[in-house]
Amino acid sequence: MISIPMEFGLILAGTLFVLGLIGLMVRRNIIFVLMSIEIMINAAGAAFIFAGAKWGEPDGQIMFLFILAMSAAEVAVGLGLILQIYHKFQTLDGDTVSKMRG
Amino acid sequence: MTATDFFSLMPLIIIATAAVIVMILIAVKRNHSVVAGVSLAAFALAFLSLFRITAVTPHTLPPLLIIDNYALFYMGLIFAASFAVTLLSYNYLKSYNFNLEEYYILLLLAALGASTLAISQHFVSIFLGLEILSVSLYALIAYVRTWERNLEAGLKYLILAAQSSAFLLFGMALVYASLGSMNINDMAQLLSGANLGPLALIGFALMIVGIGFKLAVVPFHLWTPDVYHGAPAPVTAFIATVSKGGVFALLLRFFVAIDIYNYESLVIAFSVIAIASMIFGNVLALLQNNVKRILAYSSIAHLGYLLVAFLSGNNLSVDAATLYLTAYAITIMGAFSIVSLLSGKEQESDKLEDYRGLFWRRPVLSAVFTAMMFSLAGIPLTAGFIGKYFILSAGVHSAKWLLVIVLVLTSVIGLFYYLRIVVAMYSAPTDDMPSQPGISRSVSFSGVLVLAGLTILLVWFGVFPQGFISLIQNMVSSLQDVYLSMIV
Amino acid sequence: MLELLWLIPALPFAGFLILALFGSRLSRQSAAVIGVGSVGLSAILTLGIAIRFISSPPADHAFSQMLWQWISVDAFQPAITLYLDALSLVFIFVITFVGFFIHLYSSLFMYEEEGYSRFFAYMNLFVGSMLTLVLGNNLLLLYLGWEGVGLCSYLLIGFWYKDSENGYAARKAFVVTRVGDTAMAIGLFLLFTSFGTLDIQKLLQQAPQEWTINSTQAVLAAALLLGGAVGKSAQLPLQTWLPDAMAGPTPVSALIHAATMVTAGVYLIARTHVLFTLAPAVQTAVAVVGALTLLMAGFTALTQRDIKRVLAYSTISQIGYMFLGLGVGAWSAAVFHFMTHAFFKALLFLGAGVIIFVLHHEHDMFKMGGLRKKLPVTFWTFLIGSASLAALPLITAGFYSKDMILWYTFAGEQGNDWLWAAGLAGAFITSIYTFRMVFVTFYGEAQAEITHKPGMQLKVPLIVLAVFSLIAGFIELPHTLGHLTLFSHFMHSALPPTEVLHESVSLELLLQVIAAIAVLLGIYIAYHIFIRNRSIANNLTASGPGALLHRFWYSGWGFDKVYDTLFVNPLVWFAKINRNDFIDLIYTGIAGTSREFHRQLTRTQTGRLRWYATGIVIGAIITITVVVYL
Repeated sequence: MISIPMEFGLILAGTLFVLGLIGLMVRRNIIFVLMSIEIMINAAGAAFIFAGAKWGEPDGQIMFLFILAMSAAEVAVGLGLILQIYHKFQTLDGDTVSKMRG
Repeated sequence: MTATDFFSLMPLIIIATAAVIVMILIAVKRNHSVVAGVSLAAFALAFLSLFRITAVTPHTLPPLLIIDNYALFYMGLIFAASFAVTLLSYNYLKSYNFNLEEYYILLLLAALGASTLAISQHFVSIFLGLEILSVSLYALIAYVRTWERNLEAGLKYLILAAQSSAFLLFGMALVYASLGSMNINDMAQLLSGANLGPLALIGFALMIVGIGFKLAVVPFHLWTPDVYHGAPAPVTAFIATVSKGGVFALLLRFFVAIDIYNYESLVIAFSVIAIASMIFGNVLALLQNNVKRILAYSSIAHLGYLLVAFLSGNNLSVDAATLYLTAYAITIMGAFSIVSLLSGKEQESDKLEDYRGLFWRRPVLSAVFTAMMFSLAGIPLTAGFIGKYFILSAGVHSAKWLLVIVLVLTSVIGLFYYLRIVVAMYSAPTDDMPSQPGISRSVSFSGVLVLAGLTILLVWFGVFPQGFISLIQNMVSSLQDVYLSMIV
Repeated sequence: MLELLWLIPALPFAGFLILALFGSRLSRQSAAVIGVGSVGLSAILTLGIAIRFISSPPADHAFSQMLWQWISVDAFQPAITLYLDALSLVFIFVITFVGFFIHLYSSLFMYEEEGYSRFFAYMNLFVGSMLTLVLGNNLLLLYLGWEGVGLCSYLLIGFWYKDSENGYAARKAFVVTRVGDTAMAIGLFLLFTSFGTLDIQKLLQQAPQEWTINSTQAVLAAALLLGGAVGKSAQLPLQTWLPDAMAGPTPVSALIHAATMVTAGVYLIARTHVLFTLAPAVQTAVAVVGALTLLMAGFTALTQRDIKRVLAYSTISQIGYMFLGLGVGAWSAAVFHFMTHAFFKALLFLGAGVIIFVLHHEHDMFKMGGLRKKLPVTFWTFLIGSASLAALPLITAGFYSKDMILWYTFAGEQGNDWLWAAGLAGAFITSIYTFRMVFVTFYGEAQAEITHKPGMQLKVPLIVLAVFSLIAGFIELPHTLGHLTLFSHFMHSALPPTEVLHESVSLELLLQVIAAIAVLLGIYIAYHIFIRNRSIANNLTASGPGALLHRFWYSGWGFDKVYDTLFVNPLVWFAKINRNDFIDLIYTGIAGTSREFHRQLTRTQTGRLRWYATGIVIGAIITITVVVYL
């Protein structure tokens, strides 16, 4: 079995993370924004797994489980909020939901 | 787990149990007063249990948690603040007629998350605590869902907090990848002054982003005014005290443990953040016309002051930071109490105009608000002065002249906008004043209780500070003793 | 009993807090009860403590009560400690007692006024601050009280703030005393840096050990403190604020002149007498300032028409006597005169207040006249007060205290014939202007109608103070008249006795007779001019040098004019031509920059979610850059 160096894994995770960030910055639809965040969080989770593999410990995978659980909770709350926002504003455009500034 | 383990976790168990009890109560019968009462009792109990736990501290629950006097003090701060927030919320929510009871579950869980942060010494528990706190806060901020500003604030906080969590997580992963441990103590021993590789450095930088967001320091501060403004006033008070207190406790523990003062680049990063926070926060508040936004911007500056204490890195710094945070928590809680008590249904009294001539209608409330503003500005005989004095002496001891000078100069700018509020309150009333429904409402008993308590604390702290100072020095010195001895 | 000391200043402060916070909701009655009651309780407590202090004196004749340690960071450990010795006891006795009667009097006097509770709040704060000043054992507390007194005088002089002239008078009082305060603050800093302690007693112990007589530091410190004392006590050259301070309500004038504020300077010098002993030149300056002031103010008082201004100048003159006493080392005599002066000056102001009250705010004496029959109580008490002020021999308190100062001025070690002559001339003038005031106001034909009768709250303080104005002098009798030294003996635990060069009973008797003749002569002259033949006065001031002198004295020796020409006008002129001067540019520049900076920064708060997310990313990039590349 060929072992892949951790750095490669981290580069993959980093790429995913940056992709998520770009999505967050350019997307206006809140649902896509939420998805971008999921990508970022999962990228971080992947980085944990690669790091754990490097040290030969299960800690990284344990952390990933926690991350999954928490991101599920986050998405649940987030979707609920988005529902309310659609109800109130009749749109999912993040830019129009900005009454407060200054 | 041993009996001592359970015993030392008593406060967290109490809070968590109370959350479950409230859920069951809601399932049986909805009653706002009962639920609020249970929450209050839980916070009070948890607070009292801290005194018993001092017998077994410091107690470690390897590898995740450590319960030392330092953690106890911050937990005390968190529970006391949550208690006040609960009282305020009860008062604030009474006028709404939708399901209010779940609010208290969220409040309990958020406090649970914050106190987990105070006792964490491992990435896993840090992450869990932070997320429990954040996810509860998303819902709390957007709780009054019929109100557009609430939803907007909730959305902004949700997206940005999740983004910053991702940064924090990625940073943790990189630190783990580079050091091979997620436990703070192990990390401290692994490092013990050794140079950091680029991976670890980037990891720490990303962690600073995540923590910096929660503390709302520049350049991660953009969300602050909108969220402070949009959230219900008691929740704003909660963010300003409990959430920041918990995260700051973590920041101190983590960076004092790894002895950040050995790593010049990290110190420089924090110094840049501190200076930018003090300047930007104060300047942004300068001509703001909304009291909640003024307090939001001022909180950015105050966190900058706190970082000055943290960066001094001498035997005074943890004391000074804790003192200041305590004084700040008392003060900002008082200020938001008044905003919250003066607010009517779906219409908060947060514009500066609402406060014009307030003294002539509500002299006592105005006097208390004035005291709070003076404390924020750091005028003698208030808690804020004592805190600032200690930060300054910590800074001067370490000869951090740039930080000290910026602190002093920006405090002067700060005086301007605090006094603007005071001037507005004491200016002569005009006849065509917009009358906010909340302004003339009489303050309920719970409101009086909170305000009286906070005012007494504020003045007591300012006039007889020695008792508080000794208490804080006794409690938090454990942090320095433990970690500093380890390093030496 | 002594442990209750802290309550004495605490009670008026509590009264102030209650009145300030709840004043608008309180009825006039309850406001008066709180305002008068707090000072009254303090007075009763003071009495108890005084009895205890005198009957069984504490060790070293001094009692300190440490309330709490404020903070403790390295060497900076300010403790809030009260210090009671003979000197502070006399002061708190006068402040609370006279203060109480003035409060009682005000409860009726101010009844019709708007802002009744506000008035009492300020008055309580005034008394509380003065008590803090006198009782504080360290420079910090002393300074706190000192500034508190200044603030309250500003608030009370400008009590009727709707009239811009009152506001001007209040500002003048504040600014002029500020000149002295600045000197004093520098003096306090000097003391703190030299000795490294804020504790007054420790400081006074260390001073003679570390500083030699006439050393530069001692002279400088004493001179700076003198500057502060001169400002607060309205002595030359900073006396100009006091006559204008008459713009405030009459009870305020009584409080400022008798119990608080102007006597703070006397207290300061007496308290720090050790420093003045180390700087004999400055001490002589104190005496000279006192002598000049008492003459200058006496001549000015001769010409005034406004009854309150006569009294104001008489205060300046009497404080001049106290300074004279301090300057020749007659510490106890000065404090003795402070005490008797407090009684009769409060009495005179309150009496004048009654007259002004019943005549509807008439201040001009020459429009009063003939009030003797209509206001008997006021007349008799006012007469007693005037007699005491003029130092009518044997029966008045003022005689004994003034005589003591004059005797030491002549015979004391640091005494001087010239100073004594000035004091004697002052006594002569004092009796003229005092009885001019009495004769013009109460005798002759009635010029105005009385609208209402004074009530009990006005009369009781007058009678009590009149009694004190008579009997307070009998606790200290000179060699020639029984030689009783209760007061000076009591004071010697706090203040050193005065060394006398030529101890001679016959000489003392001679001097007393001379002084008595001067006083009686003055009264006769006043009687001759203002009752028997008024045309003399008119002829004197009608033309020629008499008119010139009259104008000169009437204007207070032209000090206001000189200051206007020397300081005020040049500054105003400079400010005018220099409206956009470079110093202002710095401030407006800072303000403008901040405002512009604020505007630019506010533009970053767009409210857009995507921008906020981008902000965090930018922040992250900056942080990583800093961390990795620095």
